[in-house]
Formats: sequence, structure tokens, C-alpha cells
Amino acid sequence: MSVLEVRDLTIKFGGLTAIDGLNLRVDEWEIVGLMGPNGAGKTTAFNCITGFYKPTHGTVYYRDREVTKLPPHRKAALGIGRTFQNVGMVKSETALENLLTAQHTRAGYGSLQAIAGVSTVRQREKELTAHAEAILDLLGLADIRDRRIGALPYGTLKLLELGCALATDPDVLLLDEPSSGMGPEESDQLGERLLNLRQELGVTMLLIEHHVPLVTAVCDYVYVLNFGKLLAEGDPDHVRNHPEVVAAYLGGEAPDALAQTETPEDEPPADEIAPADAPVQRKSAARAPRKATGATKKAPAKKTPAKRAAARKEAS
Amino acid sequence: MAVQTEALMTTTVTNRRPGPSRLAARAVAAAPLVAVLFLLPLKSDTFGHVAAYAAIFVMVGLSMNVLTGYTGQISLGHQAFVGLGALTAANVVSTGVTPADPFTFAIGMLTAAAAAGAAALLLGAVALRIRGLYLALVTLVFGSVFADAIFTLPSLNGHEAGVSAYRPTFISSEYRYYLFALAMVAICYYIDVRVRKSKVGRGLVALRDNELVAAAFGVDVLRYKLLGFTISGAMAGLAGGVFAFWSQEFSDKDFTAIAGFNLALTFVVVVVVGGLANRGGVMGAGAFFALVSPISPLLQWVADKTHWGTYYGNNKFYIANVIGAVLLLQTVILNPGGLGQVIRPFARWFAGHPFTLHDPDGDAGVGAMEGSSVRA
Repeated sequence: MSVLEVRDLTIKFGGLTAIDGLNLRVDEWEIVGLMGPNGAGKTTAFNCITGFYKPTHGTVYYRDREVTKLPPHRKAALGIGRTFQNVGMVKSETALENLLTAQHTRAGYGSLQAIAGVSTVRQREKELTAHAEAILDLLGLADIRDRRIGALPYGTLKLLELGCALATDPDVLLLDEPSSGMGPEESDQLGERLLNLRQELGVTMLLIEHHVPLVTAVCDYVYVLNFGKLLAEGDPDHVRNHPEVVAAYLGGEAPDALAQTETPEDEPPADEIAPADAPVQRKSAARAPRKATGATKKAPAKKTPAKRAAARKEAS
Repeated sequence: MAVQTEALMTTTVTNRRPGPSRLAARAVAAAPLVAVLFLLPLKSDTFGHVAAYAAIFVMVGLSMNVLTGYTGQISLGHQAFVGLGALTAANVVSTGVTPADPFTFAIGMLTAAAAAGAAALLLGAVALRIRGLYLALVTLVFGSVFADAIFTLPSLNGHEAGVSAYRPTFISSEYRYYLFALAMVAICYYIDVRVRKSKVGRGLVALRDNELVAAAFGVDVLRYKLLGFTISGAMAGLAGGVFAFWSQEFSDKDFTAIAGFNLALTFVVVVVVGGLANRGGVMGAGAFFALVSPISPLLQWVADKTHWGTYYGNNKFYIANVIGAVLLLQTVILNPGGLGQVIRPFARWFAGHPFTLHDPDGDAGVGAMEGSSVRA
């Protein structure tokens, strides 16, 4: 069962077709990359998946349930978390307050109870604060707990934003350029962090990313968009050397020579790549052991108080 | 035991439990405040009357704080909610010439809050899709049209003679009514605190800063905007109920035409001069604008002492507006955090922290940060 599946997604703004017939799939426990030059429609795809835009055509499935028309807050409550390209947080609040705000749907009390100030509210607020502090510790941000985020450096903000997305208790996390504003070293650390998060929290991820080493290091599968259309898909090494991808990023015709010298012989040629709507045969050897270790994620997660993934499965 | 306390005191400078001498210092500082709040109204009925009026303004200030400060929505029609509360309370209790029965009086206050909350919900539903200047215009029109259309109905305003609203006997004196008004302020204050310290306030502030981020955090933006309007409207309605029994009648003339518009402007000035999203500042500003209002003897007294008495008497309906305009300019240009930012060091000191003008949180002040992000 796929965690997230997009079928034949099309969105038009006036005469402009921003996304044209996009198909993509994110399976349980995968980290999937979404690449493409500027204006390819990556963030638009995120906005369609998370409900901020209404697609002109096509459907979005979350765990085999059609969620195309659900509003963003409902999708967030379902477990589709996201970050924004230009840091999406509440600027006037402190780091801790942002993490508390992000736990909105799991607060566990109603607004009338909150106003009346019943004791459950106080108890839950303590638990929410403890959870927020655990996330700060997990990301190594404990020292900015009470800092107002307006004054923090960009890299820290991106990391904290990741923490906020985690605080929404996501089942699948959509990260929009998580490494922007980070140097090569920080970006390497981020890669390790993402892999650790998956290991510890069992979060599935879809990420928009330009930083090729990061994509290669963490992604199990990569989709490349160009002018709203799916240009290529496959495992990161394959896609990286795909002639059309190289051409899309660098411009001009696909350099045949480059493609021939750099594409390993065992890779399928470009025209043999499976269409996205058919069951995709994903050949990456790296994927298999990761899937096989799926049992480990059911073990008690180190930092999450609630074993949310398991609970959600039982509920559905 | 004493030694232990001493040790604690020296190790943690920001200890929230000050020692005896520090407590004494705070008590001395608080004494004039308590005297102004309780002794003056007790000694003088005139001042008790004005103090109760100030309490009503404080409630409206808290109401505006929820709507404009937290939710980031401007309202130029808040006098309609206060008026609706007053109208509802007066008509529900409908005392005639006898003092109100305490039970009916309580029902009247509750229905005042409920009716104004419902009206605010209606305005919120209209306001969901618009923002900024358009929202300001819609609320302005809503306020004046609502007031002019409903409050002037002869069956509701006592056929233009006013609906009498005699206080229940147990709070009939000016001082006791003032204490009752303070209790109502306490209720609004409690609600404001609870809102700010729970997911409700965090959701409101999040949608004020950025609706997309709020939605991504799982906040139902439409529902929460309506919630902000409703809470604010209910508080204003309660203030209106208190106002009706303060003036002992409901008269539509207090809320329609130029008088109503004047009130609406004052409420907006209160929330900006007090400091957006700053509870203490807004309450202070609310009390201040009640004290310089035309009904207050304070400015008259000052004018008499300085031989400007006649001049003030002739122009007192404009003086408050001039003061408001000057303070508004001063706040916007020089002091965006408002009164709240000014009193913050003192408030921190009273809470047990050492006195410092420099904000230990390392930022320019809550009001400054929050105020800058409100789109009005």
C-alpha cells in the first residue's frame, strides 16, 4: 500500500498549465525526492498534495483514501505534514511556542475546555511542552527554546521548521528544500538526520531538493519534473545521469557523450523507464534491505511519546 | 531555613519568589495603585461612577485584544456589539421602575454576551474572505448600519425614551457596582489568559501571522477566525450589559450616529495605544481613555485648577479625540509596542524579577514584534 499516491494531477492557472498529468507514488518508509529546475512545478505539486491548491484534474490518495479535496488543516490532522520553501513558522513567537502551535491537532482538548481552563487542559499543556522540548533536544536546538524566531539565522530556522513539521505528528512529511541556506557540511548532517528520523519515528518523506549529494545520500527514489511534466524517475544514481535531466538543468540538447560515458551499463536506457501510472519496478538494491527492516520501526520509538503510526493503522 | 532561603536567593538571581524585603518593596510600590483602585471609588461616588466606566472600557479593550491583538482582524464597528449587549441586557431584565431581581439580572448579562457573540459571528462570516482596508470598511459599515437599524426600533429602545435598567439592590451603590464591574473584568481577563495559554490563542496568533502556516499546523483557519470574532463579541456584549446598568438605562443615542462612531474609534485607539496583543497595556489604555472621556470629572478638575475650566467645558467632547490622535501617532511612530512595552519592565519587576529596563529575553519587546505583523 502506498502512503501517498498522485494520479494524473493537472493544475492550470489561467492559460498556464503548471502541472500536466503528474503521477507519483511514495511507499511506506521511503524517502522520495522531487527534483527539477526552477518553475518546474515542484512546490505547486506540494500545494496540490497538501490541499492549498485545488487541482484542475487528477486525484491524490493518502493510504488508499482519496483526499484530493480535503482542506489543508484536515490533511495535516490526517498526518500529511509539510514545510515551506521560505520557512513557514509563526514569526512573532518563540521556538517553543512554535512547536506548541504545531501540535494543534494533537492537543486533545476542545476550545471551550481551553477557555474554561479545566484541569485536563493544564495537564495536556504540560505534556505538549515536554514533547516540544523532546523535539528541541532531538534536533540539538535546546538552547534556542525561548528565543523569538524572528532573529534566528536561516539554517537554524529551516531545522526548527523541520521540528515543527515533526511536531504535527506526521505520517508522511513533505519537505520543501530542507537544505536551503545550509553549507555542505550542514547539509550532510541534515541527510543523516533525515535518515535517523525515519529510523526512529518511522516517517515517510517526500522532499524537494536541489542539492544532489543530499538526494543521492537519502533518497530511495527520485522524480524529476520539468515544465510541469514528469521528465524522469528512478533511483538517484540513475536519474542523476539521465541525459534529459542533465539537459533540463544545464540547458540545451542532451549531451549524448556524457550520458554514454556516465550511465552504468546495467541501467535501463531512458526510454525504457516504466511509466509512472503502471506499478513501478524499482530496482535499487538499497531499497530492499530498508524495507526488510520495516519491523524495527514498530519498536518503541526513542523520542515520540505516542506510537502514532501503529495507532493510526489500527484506527483505519 | 532562613539560611537556605538566603542561599537560594544568591544563586538564582531571577528567583520568582522574592525575599521579605523585596516583597515589602513591591507592597510599597503597589500601595498607591490599590489606593487609586479601591479607596478613591469608596470615598467618592463621582469617582466610583467613573471607575466603573473605566472597568467597562477595560473589558472592551480585552475584547479588542482578542480580535485585533491575537486574531489580527480590525473592527471599526465594535460599538455595535457593546450596544447590542446593553440593549439585550436592558430589555431582558426590563426593570421598569423597580430594582432588578438578581437572578434575572444574571440572565440579562448572559444573554447580552450571547447576543453580541452571535452578532460578531455574523460579522466574522462576512469578514472571512476579506482583509485589510476592505475589512475595516465592512466592519465600519456593519457597526453603524447595525446600530442605526436595530437600536432605533421603537419596541427595543423604549420608544426613544430609553429602556430603564435599575441595578439590583445588592449592587445599587456606585462603589458596589464598581466592584461588580471589576468582577466582570476579572472574567474577561481570565478568558483572555486562558485563550493565550492554550491552543486557541496559539491558533489565532498563527493565523494572524500567516494563514498558510496555520493551516499546515492543522489550524482550521476559517473556524478559528469565527471563534476570534465570537469571543471578542461576547466580551463586548458583556461590557455592554454592564454599561446598561451603569447608566441605569439603555439609550440608542449612546451607540448610534456620531456617538457610536466616536466609541468605535476610541476602541481601536485603545487597542493600538495599549499595544497589540498586550493584555496589560490594553487594559491600562482602556482605563486611561475612560478617564479622559467627556463624562469623566478628571480633566474638568485639572482644567478648573488651571483656569481653563470654561474652555474645557465647551470643548470636552473633542479633547479626548485629540488626546487619542496624539497618542496614536506617538505609538505608531515612536513606540510600536504601545503602553504594554512601556510598562513591561515594571510588570516583570512585580512578578518577582529584578528590575531592568533591558529586556532579558533579548528582543525588542513582545508588542513591537507582534504589532509589526498585524495587517490592519
